[in-house]
Amino acid sequence: MGRYRKYVSIARTSLEITFVYRAGFVLNMLGTIFYVVAMFYLWQTIFLGSSNALGGFTWPEMKAYLLVSFLLNSLMTWFAEWNMSMDIKEGRVATDLARPMDFQASRMATAFGPVPFEFFSALVVGAIVATVFGGIALPADPLHLVVFLFSAFLATLIKFGLVYCVSMTAFWTTGIDGIMVGRVAIQNIFSGALIPLVFFPDWLRAIAAVLPFQGMISTPALTYLGKMDGPTTALMICVQAVWAVGLILLGRLVWRGAVRAVTINGG
Amino acid sequence: MAARLALAARIRPIQRLVYLYFRCLGQQMKAILAYEADFVVMLFSAVIVQIAGFLFIWTIFQRIPTINGWTMWQVVMMYALIFVTEGVGSLFFEGTWRLSNLVYTGQFDQMLVRPLSPIVQVLANAVGFNGLGNIVTGLVLIVIGILNTPVHWTPGRLLMLVILVASAATIRVAINLGSAASAFWIKAPWSMVPMFVHQLGEFAKYPITIYSVAVQALIVIAVPFAFVSFFPTAFIFGVEAWSIQGLLTPLVAIYSVVIAVWLFRVGLRRYESSGH
Repeated sequence: MGRYRKYVSIARTSLEITFVYRAGFVLNMLGTIFYVVAMFYLWQTIFLGSSNALGGFTWPEMKAYLLVSFLLNSLMTWFAEWNMSMDIKEGRVATDLARPMDFQASRMATAFGPVPFEFFSALVVGAIVATVFGGIALPADPLHLVVFLFSAFLATLIKFGLVYCVSMTAFWTTGIDGIMVGRVAIQNIFSGALIPLVFFPDWLRAIAAVLPFQGMISTPALTYLGKMDGPTTALMICVQAVWAVGLILLGRLVWRGAVRAVTINGG
Repeated sequence: MAARLALAARIRPIQRLVYLYFRCLGQQMKAILAYEADFVVMLFSAVIVQIAGFLFIWTIFQRIPTINGWTMWQVVMMYALIFVTEGVGSLFFEGTWRLSNLVYTGQFDQMLVRPLSPIVQVLANAVGFNGLGNIVTGLVLIVIGILNTPVHWTPGRLLMLVILVASAATIRVAINLGSAASAFWIKAPWSMVPMFVHQLGEFAKYPITIYSVAVQALIVIAVPFAFVSFFPTAFIFGVEAWSIQGLLTPLVAIYSVVIAVWLFRVGLRRYESSGH
C-alpha cells in the first residue's frame, strides 16, 4: 500500500490548491449555471410546447438528464487539463521525469483530487436549479442509483484518459487552448451532454456509437433514469470500461513517444 | 477656418489612435503567425465549435417546427451573431482577456509610461486567431439563414443589417472591456470576472421569449447581450413584436462603450503596481 501513498498525498494537495483558489472556482461554477439555466428554459419551452413525450423522454426525466449531464461535466474541470499542458509547454515536466513516480499516475492523482469538492458543489447548485424548475425524476429503483454511481466513475476515468491524451499534444503545439475548446465542443455533442443521443438522426447516432464520448454522459445518465434494460446496461458499462482502459493505455503510449522527442524550453 | 482647425484637431488624435492600434496589433499578428500549427489549430477548433452548435439546434428542430414561434434559421442567426461578435472580440480585441494577468503581475506598468492611451494598448495587446474561424463560420450561417427565410430585401434593410452587426460587435467588445476593468479591483492571474460575465452570453443564444422576466431584464438591461443577438435578429427578419427595439441597437452600442470606458478610467485611477 505504501507505493500508493505518494499519489494520495498528491491528490490531497491538488484538492487543497482548489480551496486556495476557491473564489475562482466558485465564480467558474456560477458561470456554468447560466448555461444550465439557459438549457433548462430552452428544453422547458420545447417540452411544454409539444403535447407528447419527445424521444421517449418526459419533462421530469429530461430535467434529470440535464442535471446528471451538468454534474458529470463539472467533474475534472479544465484546471487539470490546463495545468498538465502548461507543465509540458513550460518545461516543468523535466522535474517530473526526475521523480520516482509514474507520470500518468501522478497526473491522475492531481486530476482526481478535487473531484469530491467538484461533485458536492455541483450537487448543491444542481439541487437549487432543480428545485426552481419544479423537481426532477428520481431513479425508479435504488439499484439504478448504484449502477449509475459506478457508471459515473467510469465516465470520469474516460474523461481523464481523454484529457491526458489531449494534453500530450502540448509536446507538439503551443495552441493547447484551441485544442481544449475543440475537444469540449466535440465531446458536448457526441457525449449527449447537449441533447440525448436518441434525438439524433441515425447517421449521427452511428458516429456517436463508435466514439468514446457517449460513455462520458449518455451511458451514466441513461442508467440513472433506468432507460436501458439489464443486458443493454451491462453491455454499455463494458463499453465504458474498455474505452477507459484503452484511452489510459493510449496515453501511456503517447507519453513514451513524446518523452523521447522532448525538448525542454530553456533547458 | 478656425472651426475647421478645431475639428481637425479633434479628429487627428482619433486617427492617430486607430493607426497606432493597428501597428500594435500587427506586431501581435506576426508573433502568432510564427507558430503556423497553432494558427491552424485555433482556426479549426473555432469552426468545430460552431458546427457542433449548429448540429445541436438542427437536431432540436428535426423534432419540433418552432420554439415559441421562432424558426430554426432565426435561432441559428441569434446563435451565429453571438459567435461572430465573439470572433470580432477575439481577433481584434483579445487583449482585454490579458488585462487581469497584466495587472496581477505588474506588467501593466509598461502601458502607463508609453505615450498612448492605455485602453488602446490593452485592446491591441493580443490576437486570437480562433476569432477568424468564428467570424467566417458565423457569417456563413447567417447568409444561409437569410437565404432560407423569406425576407423582403431593400437597400435600407441591407444597410441596417451591416449597422446592426457592427453595433452588436461593438456591444460585445464594450462588455469585454468593461468587465476586464474589474482587474483593477479584483486581483487574479486570469480573467475570472470577465469569464463570468461572458457566460451570460449563453442566454442570448436563444430567443429571450423563453425566459422569465428576471432573466430577460438581466440580458436586456443589466448586461445588454440581448442586443447582440436577439433584437438584431428580430429586426432583420421583421418579427413584429420585437423589431422596433432592434433599432435601438446602435444607441445601446454607444451607451455600452461609454460605460466601459468610464469603468476602465475609474479603475485606472485605483491602479497601483503589484510591486516588482
